[in-house]
Amino acid sequence: MALLEVRNVSKHFGGLKAVDEVTLSIEKGQIYGLIGPNGAGKSTLFNCVAGTYAPTMGAIIYDGRDVTGWKPWDICKLRIGRTFQIVKPFQSRTVLYNATVGAFIRTSNRSEAEDRAMEVLRKFHLGDKAGVLAKNLTIADRKRLEMARAMATDPEMLLMDECMAGLRPNEVDETLDVLREIRNQGVTIFMIEHIMRAIMSVSDKITVIQFGRKIMDGNPEEVANDERVIKAYLGESYGAGGDGNVAA
Amino acid sequence: MNSGSTKRKTIDTMLKLALAVFVFTIPVWLSSPTYLQILIMLFLFAYLTTTWNLVGGFAGVLPLGHSAYVGIGAYTSTVLFISLGVSPWIGMWAGALIAAVVGVFIGIPTLKLRGAYFALSTMAFGEGIRVLVENTMQLGPFTINGPRGISVPLLPGNNLLAYQFTSKVPYYYIILLMLCVVIFITWWFSRTRPGYYLAAGGEEPEAAQALGVNVARYKVLAMGISCFLTALGGTFLAQLTLYFYPKQILGLDFSFELAFIALIGGRGTIAGPVVGALLLRPVSELTRIYLSSTLPGLHLVIFGLVLILVMLFQPRGLVEPLERAYNWFLDRISGERKEVKS
Amino acid sequence: MEFYIQILINGLMTGSYYGLAAMGLTLIFGVIKVINFAHGSMLMVGMFTAYWIVKLTGWHPYAALILVVPMLFIFGYALQGIVIKPILVSQRDVREPTEVIIVTTGVWYILDNLALMVFGAEYRVVPTSLSGQIMLVGDYIIQTPLLYGFITTMVTAGLLMWFLKYTKMGMSIRAASLDRDAASLMGINQYRVYNIAFGIGAAIAGIVGCVLIPFYYVFPTVGVVFDVKCFIIVVLGGLGSIPGALIGGLIVGLIESVFPMFMTSTWTELIVYVVFLAVLFVMPAGLFGEKRDW
Repeated sequence: MALLEVRNVSKHFGGLKAVDEVTLSIEKGQIYGLIGPNGAGKSTLFNCVAGTYAPTMGAIIYDGRDVTGWKPWDICKLRIGRTFQIVKPFQSRTVLYNATVGAFIRTSNRSEAEDRAMEVLRKFHLGDKAGVLAKNLTIADRKRLEMARAMATDPEMLLMDECMAGLRPNEVDETLDVLREIRNQGVTIFMIEHIMRAIMSVSDKITVIQFGRKIMDGNPEEVANDERVIKAYLGESYGAGGDGNVAA
Repeated sequence: MNSGSTKRKTIDTMLKLALAVFVFTIPVWLSSPTYLQILIMLFLFAYLTTTWNLVGGFAGVLPLGHSAYVGIGAYTSTVLFISLGVSPWIGMWAGALIAAVVGVFIGIPTLKLRGAYFALSTMAFGEGIRVLVENTMQLGPFTINGPRGISVPLLPGNNLLAYQFTSKVPYYYIILLMLCVVIFITWWFSRTRPGYYLAAGGEEPEAAQALGVNVARYKVLAMGISCFLTALGGTFLAQLTLYFYPKQILGLDFSFELAFIALIGGRGTIAGPVVGALLLRPVSELTRIYLSSTLPGLHLVIFGLVLILVMLFQPRGLVEPLERAYNWFLDRISGERKEVKS
Repeated sequence: MEFYIQILINGLMTGSYYGLAAMGLTLIFGVIKVINFAHGSMLMVGMFTAYWIVKLTGWHPYAALILVVPMLFIFGYALQGIVIKPILVSQRDVREPTEVIIVTTGVWYILDNLALMVFGAEYRVVPTSLSGQIMLVGDYIIQTPLLYGFITTMVTAGLLMWFLKYTKMGMSIRAASLDRDAASLMGINQYRVYNIAFGIGAAIAGIVGCVLIPFYYVFPTVGVVFDVKCFIIVVLGGLGSIPGALIGGLIVGLIESVFPMFMTSTWTELIVYVVFLAVLFVMPAGLFGEKRDW
């Protein structure tokens, strides 16, 4: 049985169909990628799963349960964690504080929560920065904190929205290792990403979206070679018979 | 963060202890009722601002109608005392409960509003309550007396049961104790899960939600606790001054003063409200006492200036620079060269 | 029947200058997205400026507009630049920094109390050729100064809307109100735009001053009376909407003249708050809220 099933989910904003009848299903232990050109509706779909939006139509099934329209905090209690594309650390607080907020979902005891938070921070190489204020971190560290904080909630599945945007190539590689490590610990990952080599190298399966609709899904190789995907990203001129000129 | 030598820590502790002893023994040598009154009001404002801070600081919103809860406390305990002979010591808990219920009732719809709209809505509720009270002469068996306010019947001598004393000294200790308790509650609360959740929700609501926090619920919780404690201060004020009326105790000026003391001191910190009260109340009282006949409103001009200057240069409040100054001072007298951490 | 129509007329006349007073605030609130608690004080400054000019020169209050409007514009421009802009700059990423609310409150306290110290608390009146005049339209009495005010309000509203829709600065203001950063990316100096918007808001306060002089008392805390009303009107009419401010003002004016027939004026005050809260919860965008064009 799939861990997460997105069944015919649509999200309309007035007349705009941001997500249009998308269906996908994610197995436990997978790293599942969601790609598509800018404005394709990836984040919107994410937000539907994470509870920030309620889908206009369709259903979201997690572990056999219909969780369509559940609020974000209840989704988190289901052990689905989530990071944001634009990181949102609690800036005026320390790194440890940030992670502790996450850890509190498993215990109401402060020292237990802090211990667990420290454990997670160490795994993300932030252990020695526990006392640093979040606003003083580098962007790479902030992204790590974002992940660590979500991991502190002990999730079964992690939704990651462009966690590698703005990172240098070596940082991207580090993050890929982190993702694989997270998966090896039993966490299923559902990620949006724009950095092609990253998502291609780490995903087990990928869904491609354009204009809110799913164009195809498959493993990285199938996706990379799919005509429709190529056209979607690079424009008509890149399809078979095109001249290969690209405007971006 | 403060990993100093034992010498530094000892000096720090000793200074704080000395301060505590000093504060607790002031009435022993200070006999002027005027100055004791100033201190009492200072502690009262520190108290009320600390309770305000639970919502305005930790929850990250700007409530500008908190005087309503002071008033509810004052009116409830006094009215119960006059009509039913209930001791204000008991009546104040009724007032606190009512305030909490009203606060939650108001909080549920308003805490969903955007920052500016929330502030305006608290003002509207606050003013609405004031107008309601001003228009009510009788509420069943209870005399409310509309705009003229209520006088607490003056009983001869010291009457502990009736929460009245002839000298200022008992009031001093009562409010000092209340302040210490409320500071402790705030400190303890900030170290619990609801405290973390509240602070997180106030700072980054979306992120907090994704971490399992039902932000709205915690804000409402904070509102309830804050209103409850605020009302207790209202009863104290009623028993101290023995007379209050709607425009004063339910007024917008009062609400604003509470907010601004916290903001100048340092919203969201534990010492902030106390620091703010310490700095602003004496200015307010002294200019009022000595200058109000010649230059009416001067203390408000000064107040306004301070507000602007602090917001321009130290928007997080004065606690931060004061803390740095204190640490620097501590370093000097303990003879150490320490790196200043931010 | 005529009685009711008279009440309606009174309400509309009063409501028109409420609306005028709120127009400046809605512009500021809508463009810079900050609560300006100094708005009432600016009205007070407008009134005192008009008062002194009329008193010293003997001019007709509407003639005094020539002086009052530019003076207040400069005042608003400077105020925004000195006191509010630094905060907007340092809190660039925050959409509605609360520090501005506090700073404008500081300005409010300072202005009102300086006026108190300098001018004293007494209520002032300056005699003008307009004061106390009334007109008879059929069986109905219309107070002349209020009628002038009504016309002024309509004219000002019209001018403002034209300005915002058709002039370059007007469009810059609208752009900046929709999205600060996007506007600045298109070459609009957002801070200059804010200064100008604030200046206009203050200038309108000056117009209100001239309008009010013939029939309203002038005293240092006169702004407070208007402040709360203006905020209610602005929310009712929709943030940033000039027609909204107008209609909102008329509604409040009508409530204030109609309800006292059924209840005391203090309960009427409560009705205004209730309406305000109802709008906040049910229609936070107000009648002509953000979704609509200016």
